[in-house]
Order: sequence, then structure tokens, then C-alpha cells
Amino acid sequence: MSDLNALYTPLEKIPQVHEGLKKAFRSGKTRPIAFRKTQLLKLCHLVQDNLQRFKDALLADLGRPANETDFLELNGVLIEVKKAYDNVEKWASTEKPPFSLFWFSMSPHIRKEPKGVVLLISPFNYPVYLLLCPLAAAIAAGNAVLLKPSELCTTVAALLTELLPKYLDTEVYEIVNGGVEETTKILELPFNHILYTGNGNVGRIVATAAAKHLTPVTLELGGKSPCVIDPDCDVKVAAKRIMWGRLVNSGQLCISPDYVLVPKDFQDTFVEALKQAYEELHPTDPLKSGMLSRIVNERHVLRLKRLLDNTKGTVVFGNKVELSEREIFGPILPVVPVKDVDAAIEFINERDNPLVLYVFTRNRDFKKKVLNNTLSGTASINEVIMGCQAEGLPFGGVGASGYGYTTGQAAFNTFTHMRSTVENPTWADSLLLHARYTPYKSAPLRRLTWMLRPSIPPLPKD
Amino acid sequence: MSKLEYTSLDEIPKIHELLRAGFKSGKTRPVAYRKHQLLQLAYLLKDNRQRFRDAFSADFKRPYEESDMLEIDPSIGCVVEAYDSVAKWAARERAPFDQLWFAMSPAIRKEPRGTVLVVAPFNYPVLLLVNGFVGAIAAGCTVLLKPSELVPSISGLLAELLPQYLDQDLYRIVNGAVPEMTKILELKWDHIFYTGGGRVAQIISIAAAKHLTPLTLELGGKSPVVIDPGCDLNVAARRILWGKTINAGQVCLAPDYALVPKDFQDTFVAAMQRAFNEFFPTESPRPGVMSCIVSQQHASRLKRLVDETKGTIVFGGQVDVEQQFISPTVVKDVAGDDVLMSEEIFGPILPVVPVKDVDEAIEFINARDSPLALYVFSRDSAFKAKVFDNTQSGMAVANEVVIGMAVHGVPFGGTGASGHGYSTGKWSFDAFTHLRATFDNPSWVDTLIFNRRYPPYSVCLVA
Repeated sequence: MSDLNALYTPLEKIPQVHEGLKKAFRSGKTRPIAFRKTQLLKLCHLVQDNLQRFKDALLADLGRPANETDFLELNGVLIEVKKAYDNVEKWASTEKPPFSLFWFSMSPHIRKEPKGVVLLISPFNYPVYLLLCPLAAAIAAGNAVLLKPSELCTTVAALLTELLPKYLDTEVYEIVNGGVEETTKILELPFNHILYTGNGNVGRIVATAAAKHLTPVTLELGGKSPCVIDPDCDVKVAAKRIMWGRLVNSGQLCISPDYVLVPKDFQDTFVEALKQAYEELHPTDPLKSGMLSRIVNERHVLRLKRLLDNTKGTVVFGNKVELSEREIFGPILPVVPVKDVDAAIEFINERDNPLVLYVFTRNRDFKKKVLNNTLSGTASINEVIMGCQAEGLPFGGVGASGYGYTTGQAAFNTFTHMRSTVENPTWADSLLLHARYTPYKSAPLRRLTWMLRPSIPPLPKD
Repeated sequence: MSKLEYTSLDEIPKIHELLRAGFKSGKTRPVAYRKHQLLQLAYLLKDNRQRFRDAFSADFKRPYEESDMLEIDPSIGCVVEAYDSVAKWAARERAPFDQLWFAMSPAIRKEPRGTVLVVAPFNYPVLLLVNGFVGAIAAGCTVLLKPSELVPSISGLLAELLPQYLDQDLYRIVNGAVPEMTKILELKWDHIFYTGGGRVAQIISIAAAKHLTPLTLELGGKSPVVIDPGCDLNVAARRILWGKTINAGQVCLAPDYALVPKDFQDTFVAAMQRAFNEFFPTESPRPGVMSCIVSQQHASRLKRLVDETKGTIVFGGQVDVEQQFISPTVVKDVAGDDVLMSEEIFGPILPVVPVKDVDEAIEFINARDSPLALYVFSRDSAFKAKVFDNTQSGMAVANEVVIGMAVHGVPFGGTGASGHGYSTGKWSFDAFTHLRATFDNPSWVDTLIFNRRYPPYSVCLVA
């Protein structure tokens, strides 16, 4: 791993970078759609031209197999950036609301305007995807952007710092590197939007700093994503998908299945299925095969070891397992036996709203019951993880898992101010609106009232 | 003015608990029940129109006609719109067809965020409460309402009527001032919808951050009016003066100050004088014909602005702090650093700032916080486009003031210091709704498409 400290942005330079972005935004450079499209295309090429270097960087920082990086990180980035490139004209075009008899004469429209200078703070686990996808949305929306990649992935951060100026316009898109001190400095400055992806503790710090400037915030946090198992499911497929989801990136994924809820008498069957799935996925010990990512750093390894050492559950295979209050973020899968689906629902509802709720079942009523009685960022049936990249679906948390949305057009809207415009022709006053002026005259007011006062449906008879 | 009864501090967490239990009970889930409650709210307003008119008169000396036209009727309209549309808004949406994902039935469920807080300001204390409240009811949330203590008759009336019309397990009011508000903010809400000023917005934002609570902030600012000499001057003057006299200019969307070319200033203020004479042909404005300032504190604040301005008062300038009444006032030759330019005026005083040309006007606006509304009076499309394209604001309005908020189909929301998030119509519903994406992946998808995701990764798959 390279020494990122050498790359850390000097503290006194940070406000200068911010000023530069502000000025550049004010210049209007990012307004033309053509400019944004060019930048987005260049961002596509930034990734595409350097696929091997990104894979090498992620192997260096996280020990992640190249295949996984392709499928779960780089493909995803290219899809999102290309999507922004293809859709920016449509997303950015002024909208007209549906026709309304009373208001049409005022030509109401909704202009899509960039918010200004936005800040993106990304985490260590998918350091490319979780930085470049929001970057694409922010570019498409016409903003200037300050990027703060995770300092825990030093090779990736260094690579991005090297490549960004080679491809993108550095007047409006800049990277700042650093740790807590540098991030604190950044957060003192006013931004027009902040997107933070990470954990709840830092999420609170970011939201508090933003509050001082009344900055709108999007928080993509994590949480304990439960899997509810109905014995009437495709057990083999369920076990395989869950095991796969738990192990990609060694479980360091905010949408990873965090723990499993099964009926007591089904636990042994399901655990056996999980064991089989694991053996299929990793026939060779991962320490030898290199098919499993590393935990990002020693601090996290020790954290996970502590969970394992303190569990009161029974280890089935691998290592000991414990259920803790915090998101596990490691390749440990607790299995929690419950009486029935009602108990599972209660278990989930006693805890913070998760980012994803997973349900494995073939039964429509079972699915409906769980969904209707819980709240989560997203809900995935018979699948893990991949729905986040699904076309047309907004991805975002709720409650402790965060707020705001970060995919596709929803992400574009995150970085956009919808500026409504209306225009009132002169004749509107002579027709009706003259009644609003003092001295009030009853006849014109009656006419205006007749137009404005809605009729209320009658109350139903009890 | 009547004395407002404040909720006891011990009661507040209990009410919060009760509302959480109300949400958990699932009572708000059926859309039919939300519609029923919305209808009840409409009748709460309709049945008690005279009492509301009287309460506005007691708190503001606001004329009945103004209360009807600008508060009570729009509030009812807001409720009826939600009643008519909630089923559509709350319906699950399907994602548009995509060949890679269609097999997984991607859809978006509209889920209520939970138990939410709606805080209303003093100036349009019913409309701006209803604006948030209606969205929260439609979204299926349980709601705590915190009206303004500066309008005790209105807030007392709301506290009296709410239990008579709406389900007390789901919708409650807390009245009070700073200690009560502080207590409320210690508790965990699933969304806070605040309409008011920037200073309190900061306090609320910091409190919300502790619980990771999302916010909608409908704030204010100094909404500029840019005058093109080629505009229809008489209409412009009338509309601008109207924006300053309704509610005595205590409107977040009021035209705050005007920017005119230097050599047009006198023509402009003469038009303002003519409009004033039209509005008050026989007698000078007085309380009851025009609204009062909401409190002595605010009246004193405005008196200071009038006393300390270095501009020239064209007409008006009479301030009666005890009566809390200020006559419509126009001040010309106001400089950028004048006391009238130091804060949002929120009173019936119009500073006129002479500038060289429209470029200077744009520069003047951009040197300041993004306003809630930007007003342009012009008949020239190029002029309007130039101003709108080179500035930022919550709303951009040509040849009108204030009523942009009432227009159906467009979102109302500020940017920068004027706030974030949107309200009115479907946007109020969206503020309190979580879009929960769902998909359902049949087993066969792995055999067809996604089998390659599983390790062991074969060598040929590694790029």
C-alpha cells in the first residue's frame, strides 16, 4: 500500500480549493449540458482505460479478487456513469406540470438547477463505486464537486488523485485527501449539498456540521440487514445467495445480509444448507485461494475477533458467532432461531430500521406480511445485494440507515434544486385577480372566492 | 389577545410516546382512514371559518377578506387536494421496463416515515401548518404539531378544535415557547418539517442531526424584485405593493426590496405612490383595514430599520410600536450596506435600491444569500431569461409576487439559506414518505444470468 500521508492535502489549502470551486461554479461553466456530457464521457473513460489498475489497487488495499471487483464495483460504476451520460438531457430538462384550469395561464414550469458546490465523502469498502457514482450524478446535475475518498484505501485514493486531473476539468472537480483533521476542516466550509456514505456515528458529525450552514445532507448509512427465512423457500438457492452476499468483500458491504432469522425447528436444516453453500463457493480454504477479500485494517479485524470471542452462540463452521448491537461488517453470519414469523417481525421492529430487509419465501402472503409490518431502506425477496443497481429504483435508507437516495435519476435529483417558475400575465388582474386589492369590493371577491374555494365532499354517515 | 395555555414539559415525552404507539398500531396504514382524517380536517376549517377570522383579527387585526382569501380558503384547498390525490400518491409504483431487471419485479412502495414533527410560524399560522400537516396525514404518519406562540388566539383555537375533529391517537398539538420547543427537539422524530427563520432552523438542524432525522426547511430571506423599465409599470407597482401590505408584509414570499435602474427610480416610486392611493383612496391605512405587526418586539425591530435608514422615505414611515402598526412605506436611494438591507424585513417597508443596469442587479443578488423567491417585472423574454439564468433562488417568478406558492403542480422550496426540501401538493406527501424499493428474484435467474457471480472464480472470468 502506498503512503497516503504524502498525499494528504495541507490544511491551509482546503479553503482555497473550496473557494476555487465556488468561483468556477459561479462562472457558469457547468451549466451547458454539452459540458456535463463531455465530463461524464471522460469519467467513463477514466474507469474503462484503467480497469486493471483499479483491480490491482483493490487487491492491494482489500485483497479483493479481480472478478469480484469487476462484477460488483467496476461494472456498476460504468453502468451508472453511462446512465448519467445517456440521460442528462432528459433529467435536466425543464418540466411542465399537468394542466390545471385555474393555473395554466401562469405558465408554471420546473427548472432543474444545480445546487452549487457539493461534497462527496466515500467509505473504504467500495471506494470507487461509492465515490464515482455520486460524482456522475453531481456532474450531470451541473454542480462543482469536492471529493473526499477514504484514507483507509490508500492505493485507490492515490490512483483517483492521479487520474482525476488527467480526465476531468479540475476547475470544477477536485479531490481532497486526508484523515479526521482534514475532513473536519472540510466540514467547516459551506456546501450546497453533502453526500456521506459510511456509518451512523460519523453521519451524526456530518449532519451537525452541515446544520451550521443549513446544508442539505444525504446519508447512506448501514445497519443490521436481517434475512427472514420461510421454510417454504428454495432452500438451496437461498443459502447460496445469502452466503455469497455475506462473503463478498468479506462482508464489508452496507447491504450485506447481516443476520438470519429462522423458525427454531428449521434452524438445523438451514445451517446445513449454509454449510453446503459455503463449501461450493469456497472449496479451497480462502486463505490459500485468495478468493476472499481481506478485512480493511487491523482495527476492524480486532473488532470482529472480539465479536467472535464473546459470542454465546454455537459455532457451526468457520469461527464463533455473536449477535451484537452493531453492524458486523465482516464475514460472520449469526443465525437467530425464533418461534415464528411474528416473532421475527417483532425482533426486527425492536431494532433500528435496516438498510435492506431480505426475505426468502415462495409464499406471497408470507412476503406481504413481513413487508407490511416492517420498515427498511429497501426490501429484497429471494435475492441479496443486487437490487441496488436495479434500473429505476431509488436506493436509500430510512431511520438509522440514513435518508436521501443515491441511484439513477434519484441521485440526479439529490444534487438538483427544482426551481419553480410562474409568470402572471397582466390581464389576469382585469379578469379576476383585481379582487385581491383593497378596498375590498364584495362582488369581485365573491367571483374570486367562487373560483378558489374548493367544494368539500360530504362526510360519510357513521 | 387571549392567553395561550402551554403544554406542561412532562406531558411532552408522553405525547411523543403516544404518537409512536399510534403509528405502531397500524391505524394510519389504510388510505381510506387517511382520507377520512383529511376530510375531518377540511371540516375543522370550514365549520369554524368565523372563529378563525376572529382569531386572526385578535392576533393581527387582519381583515376577514384577507384571512379568507389568503389563509382559510387556500388551507381548505390544500386539504381537499390531498384528499382527492392521496390514493394515487400512496400507490405502489412499478419501475419502468428494463430488460435486465424486469424479471425481478422492481417496484417502489410508499412508506410513511413514522412519527413526525411539524413546526409552524406566526405569519400564516394555519396555512403553513396545514401545508406540512396534510402531507404527513396523507403519507400515513402520526404527527405532532407545534404552532407559534406569537399568535395565541389561533394556536389556542387549533388546540381546542383538533381533538374534536381528528384522531387523538395520531395527531396532537403542543403549545409553548422556547423551553417546550427544546423539550420537543430532544426527542426522536422520523422527519421534522419546519417553516420559519434561519436562526431557529439551525437549532432544529443540530438537534435533528443527533437522531439522524431528515428535515424540510422552509425558510425566508430577502426576495429581490428586479424592475425592467419596459414593464407594465402600473400593474407591477400594484402587485408589489399588494405583496407588502398583505399581512403587513409578514410573508416569507414578500417582495423584500426592489432593484431599479438609477434613472428610472423616480418613475418607479411615483407608480408606487399611485398604487398606494388606489389601495387607500379615502382613509389612511389603519389596524383592521391592514394587518398589524405580530408583536411589539417585531414592531420595535422595524421601527429601528425606519429610524436608521440612510435612504429617503418617499411615503409612509409612521410606526406605532404600541399599536404594532406600520403604514406602508417606500424608501428610495437605499445602498447595499443600509440597515434596511441587513436582514429580511418582514414588514410593510419597501427599500428601493438604484443600480446601474441589470448586470449590476444580478451581481447585487448573487453577492447575497440565495432568496426564497426572485421576482422580475418585465415584458422582455431576454431580460427575464438573463436574470433567471444568472441567479439562484427557491422560485423564479415573473410579473407577480407571492402567489407562486399556490400554483398547483410545482414544488415550493428554497435553496441555500432559504432552505431545502419541498412542499405543497404531492411534495408535502413526498417529504414524509420513504420510497422503499423492492424486488423479487426468482430462482431461475441464477441459471440464466447471474451464475457467474459465485466463486470459485474461474481463471477465464478474470479480465
